[in-house]
Parts: sequence; structure tokens; C-alpha cells
Amino acid sequence: MNKIVAMAAKDIHILFRDKLGFFFTVFFPLMMAIFFGAMFAGLSRGPANIPIALVDQDRTSASERFIERLGQASGLAVEQIPREEALEQVRRGRTAVMVTLTPGFGAALDNPFVTTPEVEMTVDPTQFAVAGMVRGVLLEAAGAELQDLMSDPARLGAANSQNSLFFESLPPSDARDQMLTFLDLSPRVSSLIDEMGLGAATGGNQGFGPPLEIEQTEVQAERPGPTNSYATSFAQAMLWTLIGGSVSFSMSIAIERSRGTLMRLLVAPITARHLLAAKGLACLGATLFTSTALITLGITVFDVRPTSYPLLALALLCGSICFCGIMMALSVIGGTEQAAAGIGWGLSLPLSMLGGGMVPLFLMPEWMQTLGNISPMKWTLMAYEGAIWRGFTLNEMLLPCAVLVAIGVLAFTLGARNLRWDTG
Amino acid sequence: MLVFDHVSKSFGDLRAVDDLSFEVEAGEVFGLLGPNGAGKTTAINMAVGLLEPDEGVVRFADEAFDRDPRDAENRRSLGLAPQSIALYEQIGGADNLRFFGRLHGLRGTDLEERVVACLDFADLTDVGKKVVSKYSGGMKRRLNLAVAIIHDPELVLLDEPTVGVDPQSRNAIFERVEQLRDAGKEVVYTTHYMEEAQRLCDRVAIIDRGRLMALDTVPALIEAHGGPGNLVVRTGDSESRHETTDPLGTLAELQARQAVDHFQYLPPDLETVFLNLTGRALRD
Repeated sequence: MNKIVAMAAKDIHILFRDKLGFFFTVFFPLMMAIFFGAMFAGLSRGPANIPIALVDQDRTSASERFIERLGQASGLAVEQIPREEALEQVRRGRTAVMVTLTPGFGAALDNPFVTTPEVEMTVDPTQFAVAGMVRGVLLEAAGAELQDLMSDPARLGAANSQNSLFFESLPPSDARDQMLTFLDLSPRVSSLIDEMGLGAATGGNQGFGPPLEIEQTEVQAERPGPTNSYATSFAQAMLWTLIGGSVSFSMSIAIERSRGTLMRLLVAPITARHLLAAKGLACLGATLFTSTALITLGITVFDVRPTSYPLLALALLCGSICFCGIMMALSVIGGTEQAAAGIGWGLSLPLSMLGGGMVPLFLMPEWMQTLGNISPMKWTLMAYEGAIWRGFTLNEMLLPCAVLVAIGVLAFTLGARNLRWDTG
Repeated sequence: MLVFDHVSKSFGDLRAVDDLSFEVEAGEVFGLLGPNGAGKTTAINMAVGLLEPDEGVVRFADEAFDRDPRDAENRRSLGLAPQSIALYEQIGGADNLRFFGRLHGLRGTDLEERVVACLDFADLTDVGKKVVSKYSGGMKRRLNLAVAIIHDPELVLLDEPTVGVDPQSRNAIFERVEQLRDAGKEVVYTTHYMEEAQRLCDRVAIIDRGRLMALDTVPALIEAHGGPGNLVVRTGDSESRHETTDPLGTLAELQARQAVDHFQYLPPDLETVFLNLTGRALRD
């Protein structure tokens, strides 16, 4: 037994002496716990952090009341903006859903017995889960409106008076008479229920249909965009190609060092600049080739239809430049091949999470979404999706591409300046 | 000509090379011997420009050696076979030679001729296309040496080129080194194996703790630092060992006292010189 304990103690001792092992055993899980804890802490407070763009085309007191109710509902961050601006936000991925209250919405909300209030919901096709959550909050708000109406005899009476006038204009029939009797009685439904001692056991809106009709469309219905879900999945896959490529190439310098070939290269009549350029070119070429091959496969086999091929080429180039720089920075951080790989993946995974590479940005707390701006993965995805299905214009593409190139140049410069050229 | 002129190099408090001076002539195999940590690798790294001396000058071909390893010019004249097998194992032997040849500026038919010559030099012509990972240890060692001479350099530095190889491959490497000498190259050869140095090296420098302890031809070193030889005498069941500079005289004295059944004289060798100069204490 003592021998087993001694051997186990030795292994634990070695594990904690190994900085990389310690990082993955203790620090990385801790980082993951903090990340997901922070993210789901935001969710547990309700989806208040899900931004929706709201367009009020009705502009009545009822629509304003509904908007106010939505604003108070836990789950949504409502921003009321003009339709075109809202559509742009969805298209650029800044918000998942645009809700439009069309003309007549308020009237239907105040008198839902004849016409069910309708809203239009325009969604980002990659954010169906978020759209489902928004749909639930909208229905909840409409249900609350109906409940208020049923429990307010004055409002209900006003609605019924309006409806009575309509039914009285119809030709006499038993059905018409029964409807008029019902409308006469309905304002007193609540008090009659109370008199029977049933109280809250029955719902005020029982017997009615859904309190709200939601017509859902995708943003691409109005503009050219993705033909299917592969448009988004291939953008993600291309991002992971860049990540994998940069980590692999970051290991190559460490491998050259450990296998002695770096010494041969340094003794050869070439300069360190030649070596750096060669590594950078190889990484750029490989990532560009693999991401291009992936999207080509997507286009030819999976019916992905980029909205702009020139912009796609620009996005591919900028993404590769960015991750080429990241490769050089990773090469500096990791002295050995194991360290380079470990640190590469250890950094890439949380940055991918922050950048929306694993979890939709909308599910994250606002501070985390802001923090996501530091993630090159976020800008890469934005550029790829902008060219593949979001229909970015050149002007819209400039921001993510400029950020990617800036990150790439900065990281490459920092990496190149601090790269260890010793051979031991 | 490679010249070390009062060269010193320190790493923190450790003086790895201390006032080291020597010259290597063309057509000479120059042995650099020393125990672990003596400063051999530091000296090699300074010779190829990977390290900059703190004091003194390392020169090559009578011109000041540019110590910046990024300056390419002087490196065209030297080739290094590192102690570790420094090859790309995923590609073929010929492709390794081709790659390093291109780095040294070889192109076209010149390059292909050198590749063929170096494969022949390393006796790897038949397996030139085979990936290096499939090579035996001896084949890798020979290719490691061939890569160092792909660009036909004037100075070849071989850092323990026979580590971990079988006697046949070791002998093959000896022959290749002798070929280089015969071709007029300067060869700097570091090793822990004294019999290799004794066989191959025209002159040997023994360094310890960064300092040059002795430098001369092997016979001269033995003469100066070898001390007496050993006369081993067996009489009946007993065997005795006698240090002597006059084995015949000593043997006669012993015969006069008692009949000697068997004797063997062990003259001093390079290992004796090495141990006499660097001591018998273990080095870590």
C-alpha cells in the first residue's frame, strides 16, 4: 500500500510541477466554471439581455401600452427604432429579432373578440432558439393584456358596445341574438364567477383562442441570403479551420527547436526575417487554402450561396491574416510543442466562447457581449457571415476586416519581436 | 581558417568559455574534447554565429566573423552537423538534402548534382526517396552529416556525430570524415570517445571549465601529459600492475626476482591524457 501511495504522490507532485498540466487541471476548469457561471447567471435573471428591435407602425395608446409591458417583462431588452434600421440590425447580427406592431394592432388588442392582434417577427435564422424565447414573452404579454381587459368591466363594456353595434347591423338570426346576449353578459362574467366563489380558479380568457397571432419571417425573405443552415455551419467550420491551423503552426517553431532543425535553419545563410516570413506565409497559405476548400465544398455540395464572392474572398484573406498573426503570438508564449498546443487551445476555446463560436452572443450577459469584442473569432464570424448570408456591403465589411487585419498585424509583430531564437 | 582569439563567454555567473584560443587549418581534423559542461557546445555555437562572444573574436577565413546569426554571408562557408538528429523526418532523405541545399542558394542541376553526391557520400542512394522516419539510427546519422556538407562548405563542424550508432555505422562515419579531410576541408570534431579522436584527429584541444588545458597532436599530447605506461605481469595465480616509462627495464627487474609467466604493456593513450588533465571526478 505504501508503494502505491508513494507512486501516486510522485505522480501528483509531477503534475503540479508541470505548469501546463497545472493549467489544464486547475486553472482551465476554473476559467470554464467562471465563464459558464457568468453566462448562465445572466440567463437565470431571465432573458432581459435578449435585445429585440421593435417597430411600432400602429402608434396607438394600446400599442404603446403593449410596448411598455414588453419593456417591463423579464427576458427582453426592447429598443424602439425605425423599421429599416431594425432590419439592418438583424441583418448585421446585432439583434436576433425584429418585432413589428402593424397598423390595427392596438385596436385588435383592445377588442380581441373579433380580430386577434397580430405582430410580425423577423428573425436571424441562426437564432431560432432566441426567437422562440421572444415568441413566448410576446404571448405572455398579450395574455396579460387580455386578462386585464377581461377583468376591467369598463374596457370590456366599451369593447362590447362596439361589437354590439356591429352584430346589430347584421340580419336577424338566432346566432346573432345569442351573440348579443353573450356580449351583454360578458362584462359581468368576472363578478358572476366571484359570486359563485370560483375566483381565480378559472381564467378570464377561457374559451378564446390564442391572444396573439405571430407571423414569423426570416430576414432573408426581404433580401438575398442563406439558402440553408449550412450557410451558417460552414462559417463556423471555417473559423475552426483557422483556429486549428494557427495552433498547429504555432507548434511548428517549438518542434523545429526541439528536433534541432531550428539550429540548422539559423546556421543557414538566411535571416530571421526569412524564417518569420516563411512561417507566416505557410500559415497564411494553409489557412487560406483550407478555409477556401471548405467554403467551396459548401457551395458545390451543400448549396451555400454567398451573397458576394469578392467580399467572401476579402473575408477569407483577412481571417487568415488575423490567425497568422495569432499563430506567431502563440509561438512566443509556448516554448515547447506541448506548451504551444496547450496554450493555443487553452486560449482559443474561451475566446471562441466569447466570440459566439460556441454559444450565441445573445445568450450572454451584456458585459460578456461587450467583452466579446476582444475576440478575433467574433470578427471572423461577422466577416464570413457578412459575405455568405448577411449580405454585407463593402462598407459594412470594412469594420470586421479592418479589425481582423489589425489584430493579425499586431499579434504577428509582438510575436516576431519576442520570438526565442535560441536553439536549446 | 577558423580562429578563436582569446574568446570568452559567460551565462550569468557561469563562465562557459574562458580565454579560448586556437586555429583550425585547411585539410585538418581538429578534435575538441572535454567533459560534460566543458564549453564545447558554447564554442561550436560561437563558431557558427549562434552566440556572440563576450570578449575576444571568432574569425573565419581571416576576416572578422559577423556574430549576428541573421547575417548570412559568412555562413555559406560552414556546415554544421548538430549532436541531435536535425532532420525533417516526414520527408525523404533526398528531399531533406534538397531543402537545405536551396537554403544555401543551390538551384537546378547544381542542386541535383550535390544531392546525388551527398546521398552517395552517406551511402543512402538506394533509400534517398524513403521518408527519414523509416531510416535506422545509423542512416539518420549519416544523413545528418550529409546535410551539413550539401553546399560544399570549407569548414564542417561535427558535434558528437557518432552518438548512438552501431560499430559499422561509426566506422562508415569515420571514413566520411577522412574523405572530408582528404578533400581539404577544415573539420572540427567534438566527441566523448577518445579512441575516435585518437584515430581521426590531427590535432586535439582538451578544454575543461571553459579553459584550454592542452592543444597538440595526439602523440605530442601523450608524450607531454600521458605519464607512465602500465606493465601488467602475471606470476602463477597472481597478477600485478606496475607504472613505468621503461617497460623492458622493469620487466627485467621483475624477472630477476621471480619467473614471469605472462606480461602485457599498456602504453599511455589519449584517455589517460584526458583523465590526467581533467581529473577523475564525475561531471554533471
